[in-house]
Amino acid sequence: MNENLFASFIPPTILGLPAAVLIILFPPLLIPTSKYLINNRLITTQQWLIKLTSKQMMTMHNTKGRTWSLMLVSLIIFIATTNLLGLLPHSFTPTTQLSMNLAMAIPLWAGAVIMGFRSKIKNALAHFLPQGTPTPLIPMLVIIETISLLIQPMALAVRLTANITAGHLLMHLIGSATLAMSTINLPSTLIIFTILILLTILEIAVALIQAYVFTLLVSLYLHDNT
Amino acid sequence: MLSRVVLSAAATAAPSLKNAAFLGPGVLQATRTFHTGQPHLVPVPPLPEYGGKVRYGLIPEEFFQFLYPKTGPYVLGTGLILYALSKEIYVISAETFTALSVLGVMVYGIKKYGPFVADFADKLNEQKLAQLEEAKQASIQHIQNAIDTEKSQQALVQKRHYLFDVQRNNIAMALEVTYRERLYRVYKEVKNRLDYHISVQNMMRRKEQEHMINWVEKHVVQSISTQQEKETIAKCIADLKLLAKKAQAQPVM
Repeated sequence: MNENLFASFIPPTILGLPAAVLIILFPPLLIPTSKYLINNRLITTQQWLIKLTSKQMMTMHNTKGRTWSLMLVSLIIFIATTNLLGLLPHSFTPTTQLSMNLAMAIPLWAGAVIMGFRSKIKNALAHFLPQGTPTPLIPMLVIIETISLLIQPMALAVRLTANITAGHLLMHLIGSATLAMSTINLPSTLIIFTILILLTILEIAVALIQAYVFTLLVSLYLHDNT
Repeated sequence: MLSRVVLSAAATAAPSLKNAAFLGPGVLQATRTFHTGQPHLVPVPPLPEYGGKVRYGLIPEEFFQFLYPKTGPYVLGTGLILYALSKEIYVISAETFTALSVLGVMVYGIKKYGPFVADFADKLNEQKLAQLEEAKQASIQHIQNAIDTEKSQQALVQKRHYLFDVQRNNIAMALEVTYRERLYRVYKEVKNRLDYHISVQNMMRRKEQEHMINWVEKHVVQSISTQQEKETIAKCIADLKLLAKKAQAQPVM
């Protein structure tokens, strides 16, 4: 049972070669590009969505921050599609692996912070002390703010990993609960199946929201530091 | 690229081969399989407007058509599924129910909101086309307006001769007026000069008259001697007395 529960989180290999690379590279195939003005419905809706999200996200940045727009928009699209594809049965979600999320979070956060420290060092250091703190609290508060800054990448990565992994685990558990109840008591099976459906809807929402949250936080760090 | 370098090196090494070096790249690229035909500039065949038909969103219609002469596709599908289930090639696990719920939610969402999204996408495309159409129509309208203006200008040009006639008449009148003015001035100037001569003549005659009269008076006065003067005065006094008597007598009548 334990083996089966976490089996879906093992990065798949084909004869010892990592297929996880192929799985990570798969989502861009679902987002076609087109050199025409008038496209089919898929491309039209996708282009409209991307335009909407990019406008929504990048309006709050200045010119320097907007140089990150390609990075952030591709980030949100990647995380959203990967999470949604992971909901399909028997699929592997790369974002459940902490390694991948750390690989996404640390460079982005470090890039934003280092950019901030390079250009506007006073502003960047000023973040360590919120306005209006009483004087005796300052040393402690600086330490707390430093820790809060340094924990940001870990929080980003762990948040995404934990949310997606927890969702997948819950789906698995409740699925196995329905499987177990299906032989015992049919009406309660239906109840549990309803719970599963509700959970699926939640998972779809969580998939999208997590992508949004990740990208939003990175853009916030960027905004602070440009 | 390296072979081109080799060819150019061979050309420098053996000058007799230099002319052959021009043929070298052509010979090389004749062995490639790219770009052997004419380049397609226009017209590229148009893209199909709708994708191929699929049943159940996954299986293309051609599959069904392919199978119909041989076996029923639904029977084939059911048989395969039952075979997989019974031989436990596909194990019913927790994943099955997860798959059921996910696929159920997806199908429900697509059935319910599919047409809405399709219409939305169509509307987006139509908006783009409408914008371009608008630009085209605006351009056509602009040119049409220019044509109409040009036509009206041409019509006006046809009627231009009225304007010219009026202007010509005006100018003729103005010329006439100036001519008459000048004629009158000439007349006045000539009259002026002639008047001058006449007044000079008149003045001369008057002066001569006065001079003559003065001369005659002077000589007459000179010629009157004192004796004659006294006699004349006495005669005048006697005449006057006579006249006075006559004058007094008259009113009594």
